[in-house]
Amino acid sequence: MRSTGFTDIIKKSPFGPIQAHMEVSKLSTDELIIFLQAAINSNWEQATQSRETISDLENQADTLKAETRGLLTKSIFLAVPREDILDLIKLADDIPNTVKDISGLMIGRKMEIPEQIASSFILFAKEAAAITDAAAEAVDYIDELFQFSFGGNAATKMQQLLEKLDSLENKNDQSEITLRSELFAIERDLPPVNVIFLYDIINKIGELSDRAEQVGHRISLIASR
Amino acid sequence: MEIIALYGPYLLISGCVFGFFMAWGIGANDVANAMGPSVGAKALTLSQAILVACIFEFAGAYLAGGEVTSTIRKGIIDPVLLADSPELLVFGMMSSLLAAGVWLIIASFKGWPVSTTHSIVGAIVGFAAVGISVDSVSWSQVGSIVSSWVISPVIAGAISFLLFKSVQSLILNTKHPFDNAKKYVPGYIFLVGFIISMVTLLKGLKHVGLTLNFQESLTYSLLIGAGIALLGSLILRSVKNTFEKRGDVIFDGVEKVFAVLMVFTACAMAFAHGSNDVANAVGPLAAIASVVQSGGQITAESTMPWWILLLGAVGIVLGLAMLGYRVIETVGKNITELTPSRGFAAVLAAATTVVLGSGTGLPLSTTHVLIGAVLGVGLARGISAIDLSVVGRIFISWIVTLPVGAGLSILFFFALKGIFS
Repeated sequence: MRSTGFTDIIKKSPFGPIQAHMEVSKLSTDELIIFLQAAINSNWEQATQSRETISDLENQADTLKAETRGLLTKSIFLAVPREDILDLIKLADDIPNTVKDISGLMIGRKMEIPEQIASSFILFAKEAAAITDAAAEAVDYIDELFQFSFGGNAATKMQQLLEKLDSLENKNDQSEITLRSELFAIERDLPPVNVIFLYDIINKIGELSDRAEQVGHRISLIASR
Repeated sequence: MEIIALYGPYLLISGCVFGFFMAWGIGANDVANAMGPSVGAKALTLSQAILVACIFEFAGAYLAGGEVTSTIRKGIIDPVLLADSPELLVFGMMSSLLAAGVWLIIASFKGWPVSTTHSIVGAIVGFAAVGISVDSVSWSQVGSIVSSWVISPVIAGAISFLLFKSVQSLILNTKHPFDNAKKYVPGYIFLVGFIISMVTLLKGLKHVGLTLNFQESLTYSLLIGAGIALLGSLILRSVKNTFEKRGDVIFDGVEKVFAVLMVFTACAMAFAHGSNDVANAVGPLAAIASVVQSGGQITAESTMPWWILLLGAVGIVLGLAMLGYRVIETVGKNITELTPSRGFAAVLAAATTVVLGSGTGLPLSTTHVLIGAVLGVGLARGISAIDLSVVGRIFISWIVTLPVGAGLSILFFFALKGIFS
């Protein structure tokens, strides 16, 4: 059939693969909870399995990141500034990467989570996963925002989604303080090297929620233009 | 003169065959651009699209195809200069049909984006300038045709930009987009009906026995527009705002209202396409027919026989019915990003521009006009990603198609001349 050139003009929205990427991030933070639970129970077989899933998900995320960038060639005119989209995918891609780092570090050292902090620890991680969920929701809502040309009701709803993200992040900060003080209280009784790595893991989980929050900030920038 | 007397009927019959085949090709291929957006946006199913296209392509070609056909027939070449050798005009027009047909077949196999309009105009200019004389080409007319190729996508883009901006401020960027859509969409439907009927009625439907002055045309067009808007609002009554839940996010159903609007713009586009593109097939045939039927007389005054447009219209509908569904399906699949609120703006702008072209007798490239219209919506930030390199490819297709069409028709022209002399 003769190509008339008409269909060539409309390209796939780069938000499609970004949304798929956020779905993958969600799955990977969910899997992280399963992984941590297994680590707390010292069930290393289960943890190894989880770790494999996390690794797979990270690979999927990389493919989607590449796909997003592939949709942003020079000749493409975008409704949203190219830099914003590139930043968004870069930030989002840190989430599955960090999850992979955490699981790798913990499995490599067969890290035990002390019983005294286990419940705070898992709560902290679950909150980080919830923030990723909220960020994914906002990324999904970009479609609607775009459909309504960044204004009206859709803009208000997006604002609400982002506020929810912020409040989750604030709550998570509080949980981090609690967890750190609990660890501080028992750190004398633990092997020092283990303590250092525990703090490192806490930092990394904190990074997860930071990244998810930054994804939200980038979306609010996109929304306000 | 003797050639016409001797071979006239044969020349006319082969002209009919070629013209019909061209129309068939236009129906099979080019109609997809007109209907694709509506199918892609799921405003119409494939079979509904075929039905709509058949009806409105036919109506457009038959009712409003006269002006462009007469441009192709006697606007590009001055036929009076050929009064002494009418057979040259017949050979030339035959060669043009052959040249455009051959070139389009080659392009089909290679998958190149080539415009039927450019092929046929290039072919006619080619045989006339080289085969007859440079003076036989009415260069001022050719100039205005070529500049219309540049201007028409720009006009379509400007219209679609404004249309989409109005949709943004009246409907999308408001607190109650769905309710506002229901309120304003009949207005857009009115515009569709009004514009199409105004241009068609103004140009006169003399060949179907209807002659109207400006006042009458305006009145009737307003009435038709209002009637269609009324029909639209009746259909809209049954459209309910159903929220669609995808994951955790709820999506508003405002696009359903625009889907109704898009059915109307699809009709308009099919009409516009038929009215402009039928000429590519039957314009040369009309020239052949008038020479043969008058026994070799070339008179600028002669009216066009009614059956020519009918032949073209039937050809388009046949091509569409036989092969069109496949192309429409492909085009529709490739442009799912064009949602009804965007699609209608682009299609209505394109239809308006093309119908204006048909009214003024300018043969436009429907595809390029559509591309311009989509660009307009894109510039209003209505489409998330647009490939601007397509614009460059359009220029390349002009630069290639015009000389190739011309070259081929020159070749055929001298071959025919050699055979018959």
